[in-house]
Amino acid sequence: MDHLETGRYGEALAERFFRGKGWLILGQNIRVRGGELDLVAMDGPELVVVEVRTRSIGKVLPAEETVGPRKLKALVRSGRIYVEKCRWIGPWRIDLLGINLDAEGFPHFSHLPDITAGRIRS
Amino acid sequence: MGPVLGVTLKGIEAVPIDIEVEITGGLFVIAVVGLPDTAVREARERVRAALRSNGIQLRGRIAMNLAPADLPKVGSLLDLPMAVGLAMESGAVRVGETALFLGELAMDGQLRTTKGAVPAALLARKMGIPLFLPPGNAGEVALVKGVKAFAPPDLGSLLAHLRGDARIPPVTETGFETEETSIEPDLADIKGQAAAKRALEIAAAGHHNLLLVGSPGSGKTLLARALRGILPPLSDEERLETLLVKSTLGIPAKPDRMRPYRVVHHTASAIALCGGGATLRPGEISLAHRGVLFLDEFPEFHRDLLEALRQPLEDGVITVSRASGSVTYPARVLLVCACNPCPCGYWGDPVEPCRCSSRVLEKYRNRLSGPILDRIDLHVSVPRLTPEELVCLEGRQGPSSDEIREKVSGARKIQQERWKAQGFSSNAEIPERLVRSGLGLSRKVRPFLAEAVRGLRLSGRGISRVLKVARTVADLRGDAEVSVEDVCEALAYRGGGIPVDRT
Repeated sequence: MDHLETGRYGEALAERFFRGKGWLILGQNIRVRGGELDLVAMDGPELVVVEVRTRSIGKVLPAEETVGPRKLKALVRSGRIYVEKCRWIGPWRIDLLGINLDAEGFPHFSHLPDITAGRIRS
Repeated sequence: MGPVLGVTLKGIEAVPIDIEVEITGGLFVIAVVGLPDTAVREARERVRAALRSNGIQLRGRIAMNLAPADLPKVGSLLDLPMAVGLAMESGAVRVGETALFLGELAMDGQLRTTKGAVPAALLARKMGIPLFLPPGNAGEVALVKGVKAFAPPDLGSLLAHLRGDARIPPVTETGFETEETSIEPDLADIKGQAAAKRALEIAAAGHHNLLLVGSPGSGKTLLARALRGILPPLSDEERLETLLVKSTLGIPAKPDRMRPYRVVHHTASAIALCGGGATLRPGEISLAHRGVLFLDEFPEFHRDLLEALRQPLEDGVITVSRASGSVTYPARVLLVCACNPCPCGYWGDPVEPCRCSSRVLEKYRNRLSGPILDRIDLHVSVPRLTPEELVCLEGRQGPSSDEIREKVSGARKIQQERWKAQGFSSNAEIPERLVRSGLGLSRKVRPFLAEAVRGLRLSGRGISRVLKVARTVADLRGDAEVSVEDVCEALAYRGGGIPVDRT
C-alpha cells in the first residue's frame, strides 16, 4: 500500500468513524481556493472541519502529531473560505483525526477536537 | 447596567465593572476588551477550562467588554464575573437580580482567594446587591456588617445556586472580637525605664510621635513593641479602615482589634514605605494606619525617605500619584523612631565610654536634626541599665500594660469629646489656630512659657508641640486645665537624649 492508498483508506475509515458518532457528513475532499478539506460534518449545532491524517506504524511520528503551525494556518484559511462560501453563520471548529495503522493494517483512532482553541488571535 | 458585575480596585475603593458578553458564529476565540491587564487577559484560559469542567462548552466567536472601557482593569479577581457572564450568555444559567462577583478561578472551577474582598463588600452594601466571593475571603467579609455575601466553594455550586437547584447559605456575620487581647511584652515586665514608660503612655494617649534614643541593648525595640499593648483597642470604624488596606493587598485578616505594628528596615525604598508601583499599592505607612510605624536605626534611613513621611504625618493620608493615576490611602500612624545617641552608641552610657570624636558627633547630629525631627513631639532618652540595676530589679515593675491602657483610653475619650465639633480625635492632630485658643491653659502658663522659650530656643511649631503634649499630660490626669507642671513635663521631652555638646 503506498501513501496515496493509505490516505484514501484512512478517509474512508474517517467517514465511518464520524457517522458512528452520529455526525451528519456534509462532504469529503472539498476543494476550496488554495487547499482541500478532508471532511466536513455537523456535530449538533456546530460545523466541524476535520483534517484526517493516516499513517502506518513504524513512521517516526504518530499521525496526529504531523500537523504543524503552517498546516494549522492553512486549515484556518481554507476553513474560513469554505464557511463563507456556504454562508454558515453559526459556530464552527477544526478537528483532527489521527489514524495509525498497525502491522496488521488495523486502525487506531485518535480524535482531537477543536485544535485551534485559544491558539489563534481574534 | 447588566446583571453581572465585577470589581477592580482603585486604591482602597472598589469600582463596579459591567461584564458584557456577545457570542457570534465563527471559529472559537475569546476577545477581551476594556483595558485588561495581563492577568485579566489570561483569565480567558482559566475561565474556558473552568466552564468546561462544569459541562459548559464554549463555541463560536466571543467578545467580552469590561465597562467602563477607559478604566484599566487589574488582577485575577475578574475571573468569576467573566465566567458567570459567559455562562449566562451561552444559556447555561439565568442571573435574575444584579449581583457582584469576585474571585480567581482554578482550571477545575475551584475558587481561589483574591485581594479586594473588603472593598467589594462595601461596594455591594452601598449598591444593595448580593456578593459572591471565594470561601477563602469569607472570613474578612464576615467582619463587615450588613453585607449579603455568599461563598460558593467552586463555580459548579455557584451555577447551581443561580439556577435555583441547590441554594448555598449566606455568609454569617461574625463581627469583631469584643474581648481585648493582651500583647507581649507587658510594660511591667520591662525593667527600669520609668521615664520612657511615661513617655510611651503620653504618646499613646495623645497620638504623639516618639523618638527613643539609647545605647545598644538598652531596650528601645522592646519599648516600641510594648507601645502597641497600651493603645486602646480599635473601634469598629477604625478596624474597618485597617481591614480595607490589608484587603487591597490580599493580606488575610484576623477578627481581633489589635492595632497594627509595622517595623520598617532602613534599606526600605520610598515605594515600600509610602506606596506606589505599577498598581499603586499601599505602603507600610498605610498598613500601619491607626497603629504604630516603627523606624529602627532612624539616622540610617535615606533623607528623601524621611522627607516623604512629612506630609502624611501631618495630614493622616497619603496620595500616591503616578502617570497611571492617583489614589489616596489612609496613613494616620503613631511614628516611633529609635536611634543610638552617637555612631559608637555609648554617648552618655553609665559604663561604656563613648569613642566618637566631636566631629563625628556633629555629623551624626546634623543627620538627625531637620524638619522631620521637628515633627516628633517626644524625644526620650533610654539609658542602659547598670549591671547592678539589671541584677537587682526583680519581678514586675510599675503598672501593667492593661492598667495603663485604661488610663490611655480615658484620656482619649476626653480628647474625642473636646475635638468632636472640629472633627479631630487626638491632641496631636489639632491645627495651629486651636492651639492658640482651645487648649484651656492655666493663667500662669504663658508667662512661664515666655521665659522657657527664651532659654530653650524653641521654634513656633516647637511651642505648639509642647503645648499639645502638655494638654495630653493634663488629660491623663483628667484635668480640664493645663498647669505649669504639665508644660514642664512636656518641655522635658524636647531634645532629650541627643548629644548637644561634648562636655
